[in-house]
Amino acid sequence: MDSNISKYADMQKAIQMELEKLETEEATLIEGLNNMLNQKVFLEDKVKGLSKLIPSLKVIKNEAQDLVNTVNDISDSSEKISSKIRSLDKARSRVDECQLRVSDLIDLEICSQGVQAAILDSDYEKGAAHVHRFLSMDQSLLKRTANDMDNVSNMLKSVRTLQDAASQLRAIVEHKFNEAVTTEDLLSIERFFKIFPLLGMHEEGIKEFCTYLRSKVCLVADKNLKSAINTPVSDKRYSVIYADTLTLLFEGLARVLDKHQPLIETYYGPGRLLSAISILQKECDVQTKRVLLEWARSRQIHKKVQQINELSRMSSSSSFSKMEKIDPKDLDILIGEITLMHYRTELYIKFIQRKVTSDADVGIPNQDERTKVVQSLEKLIKNSELSQCKHELLSHYLRLEQYYMEESVAKAVAMDTLEPGQQTSSMVDDTFFIIRKCIRRSISTGSLDGICVIINNACRVLESDFGEILRQRLRQGYPSGYLDLTQAYNVLHTSIQQGRLQSGDTEQSRTAFVVALNNADSSTDYIDALCEYVMKEIGQSVPNLNANEKGKLESCLSGLSSVTTNLKDLIEYGTQQLRSTAIKPRINPWVDAFLNANHHLTEDELSAYEAGESFVQTLIMNLETLLSSFKDILSSSNYDLFTQVLTAEVTNRFEKVIKKCTFNRLGGLVLDKEVRSLAGYMTANTSWSVRDKFARLTQMATVLNLEQVAEIHDYWGSHDGALTWRLTPSELRSVLSLRTDFKVEDIRRLKL
Amino acid sequence: MDDYKFLFKVVLVGNAGVGKTCLVRRFTQGLFPPGQGATIGVDFMIKTVEVGNEKVKLQIWDTAGQERFRSITQSYYRSAHALILVYDISCQPTFDCLTDWLREIEEYASCKVLRVLVGNKIDREDREIPTHVGEEFAERHNMYYLETSAKQSDNVERLFMQIAEDLMKQARSRDLPRYNSNHQNINGTTTPISDSSCCSGKFINAIVIFGKPTACIHCS
Ligand SMILES: Nc1nc2c(ncn2[C@@H]2O[C@H](COP(=O)(O)OP(=O)(O)OP(=O)(O)O)[C@@H](O)[C@H]2O)c(=O)[nH]1
Ligand SMILES: [Mg+2]
Repeated sequence: MDSNISKYADMQKAIQMELEKLETEEATLIEGLNNMLNQKVFLEDKVKGLSKLIPSLKVIKNEAQDLVNTVNDISDSSEKISSKIRSLDKARSRVDECQLRVSDLIDLEICSQGVQAAILDSDYEKGAAHVHRFLSMDQSLLKRTANDMDNVSNMLKSVRTLQDAASQLRAIVEHKFNEAVTTEDLLSIERFFKIFPLLGMHEEGIKEFCTYLRSKVCLVADKNLKSAINTPVSDKRYSVIYADTLTLLFEGLARVLDKHQPLIETYYGPGRLLSAISILQKECDVQTKRVLLEWARSRQIHKKVQQINELSRMSSSSSFSKMEKIDPKDLDILIGEITLMHYRTELYIKFIQRKVTSDADVGIPNQDERTKVVQSLEKLIKNSELSQCKHELLSHYLRLEQYYMEESVAKAVAMDTLEPGQQTSSMVDDTFFIIRKCIRRSISTGSLDGICVIINNACRVLESDFGEILRQRLRQGYPSGYLDLTQAYNVLHTSIQQGRLQSGDTEQSRTAFVVALNNADSSTDYIDALCEYVMKEIGQSVPNLNANEKGKLESCLSGLSSVTTNLKDLIEYGTQQLRSTAIKPRINPWVDAFLNANHHLTEDELSAYEAGESFVQTLIMNLETLLSSFKDILSSSNYDLFTQVLTAEVTNRFEKVIKKCTFNRLGGLVLDKEVRSLAGYMTANTSWSVRDKFARLTQMATVLNLEQVAEIHDYWGSHDGALTWRLTPSELRSVLSLRTDFKVEDIRRLKL
Repeated sequence: MDDYKFLFKVVLVGNAGVGKTCLVRRFTQGLFPPGQGATIGVDFMIKTVEVGNEKVKLQIWDTAGQERFRSITQSYYRSAHALILVYDISCQPTFDCLTDWLREIEEYASCKVLRVLVGNKIDREDREIPTHVGEEFAERHNMYYLETSAKQSDNVERLFMQIAEDLMKQARSRDLPRYNSNHQNINGTTTPISDSSCCSGKFINAIVIFGKPTACIHCS
């Protein structure tokens, strides 16, 4: 029962749901119907409007049909016309071809008749001209002509005659050319050289001719090398004789190219220079190699490089070196010669690149083929012995130059001297002279890679060999030494000025410290100038650097900037040393003297105080002595740093001391005056503004110089007369409380 | 474009033909150059990558492996932040030369340089050096190890990105003032003044573990 009931209940629920669904459906349908009814009027209007259009549409349709018919007619007739034109074209091209065949046929006849006679007459130009005409005929066309002709045998005979003549002429010309080469008959050489291309022997002609030129180059080079080898040591050019020989070789080759390029271009057409150059390059390779071999032997370059390599290995592994050092000065001339040789090689390579590229630009219209020529040129150069030699030269150069730089700088550092009256010692001038010289030399090689390496090396030397010395000296610190400091400074001062540095370790270390600090400062100037110099020089000597090459160079130059950064850190470190040993211990007692002064003055005491030597006068006098003892021995920017540190120390200490005192009204007045005159003195005696450093101190004095507490409002707040306060409100309150005549509750009541 | 936060110099070294140029081209230009010749001297390329929202500029120096360019390539070791030493896994001699390269690195490079060993050309069938041999070598010399294929672009991106990340970590941890002004040495004891003083000379025996440079004997 129960189950039945629940079944019915379920069923009822389902029916109910169904009903609801139907109801909603009904509602939407009704709504839809209503919508349609609403639109009925509107739609009827539209239909009415449209039906009005029907008649005019009919007219349009008819007209369109007419138009279609007309267009079809036109297209039909134009089709007819164009087919006529097409056949006309065909006919004309047939006529053309026919004419060509006839003229070929006639020429064939003439050429075949003329060629033998010409050969017999030794008129090879004429013979070759006939063959050239024959070769210029379209051979497939000739074949077709033969097929169309009745009298084939005649024509074939002509063809055969010409083919025979061609090979005969080729043999003759080649032979005659070689004969002319053997007898050095220049006229004939040129004569037959011109005939080769007529016979379709462009490559052969260039090869034969350039091989001949090669032999000429070889002869001259032989002679030059011999004379180089035999040059006496006393000769003016002895030290660069191999660079001269190499230059002669390159100039000779360049002259040969320049001289014969027009000939090749005229008779062989443009775009053939690469073939010529690749043959000449072989001789260039052979001769360059020979010159370099002789050079290496004569200058004992391998021995020197090996010795340098061993030296650098030894010097770093052990302090005592068994090997004799090479004096860098002895390498000067050799390095000069290498840079010259490298530069000449670079120039010659640039020369042939320029030649071939411009020849290809003129003679090869096809972009792809032109790229191919340029690529094979690059490959030719890259794989040439000449390039290998160039790399070898650069490698030697770099080894020697690096050694030169290291050793010379080491020497400059070892022989460091301080001239009387100088702020820096000789090592700075000397080191940068050497580095500049090496970099200049690297620029004169013409190799960007070489320049970059030398710049890298300069950074290394400046940071290690050179910078390490400065670092060591500053690490020793600035000894405070004497108890009677004034005297000590005077001794230091005069001894440096007179260049006498014998008396005692302390002065020596002080001088060494100060000079190292100046050296570091001066070095940063030198480096800036060096970077500028390099950029300028390179712009002139190695122009047209691409973006990538520029990036490379800039990256290497940035190595020099980081040397500067390190030097600046070093200077900062040195200045801090001075702060702790030269400034602090002296300043503190001077400023502390303020504690002993009376700050609760009566009117009488005030006049007495002002008549006598006041605290600030003594302080300024002492500062004067201290500053003047450093003014002449420190470089100007180091002196600036020194005064900055000094000012900071004085003001800090003064603030502390003030906070330990108490004041009455007149005491505050005196303080304010004293702070002002101190600030005035410092401003007058330093090249930068100390106002900022004195701001807190001046404000403290202002506060202590008030008539009454409430007056602070003249200075505090957001009105026009207000100060930009460096003291916090709580600091200000505590300064106010130093005035014994100010009431604590007045101060507390202030709204700040 | 130039709004990078870090700039690192990465130098690739290794025998001629091991694929240094291909690795660099793959990373910087996304291609495997067909038939490009041996490198002359040293090539220079730049790629800016992003590590954790930070722009890092990598200056990549692709050196020539051929002996005759040694005097050029050696001069780039000193300023390198990372050195990638490459060999060809299908060519035993290139692996045998690694010790020579290491000697050179120790002679010229800073002791803080990050060193990575790379076995390239893993796409090749004719492998001669098994992975574990390369791995062991790297471990023995405290280098990070990775096998790559410039041809199939395996691990190339990872190699350079890993280097960028590690160098950045290193730079961050070293981003401290160079000296502490509270610790001045009045009596002349030596304290290191600046980083650059460390090991700019030759012959350094200290070793750097990838990502964690151990103190150098020269500056500790
Ligand atoms: N199968 C394969 N071949 C590679 C791969 N990488 C480079 N090569 C080939 O190795 C050869 C040398 O590659 P380079 O990148 O020029 O070698 P390199 O180390 O730069 O050589 P140098 O510049 O002379 O020091 C080329 O023929 C490349 O096609 C690689 O991942 N797989
Ligand atoms: Mg390469």
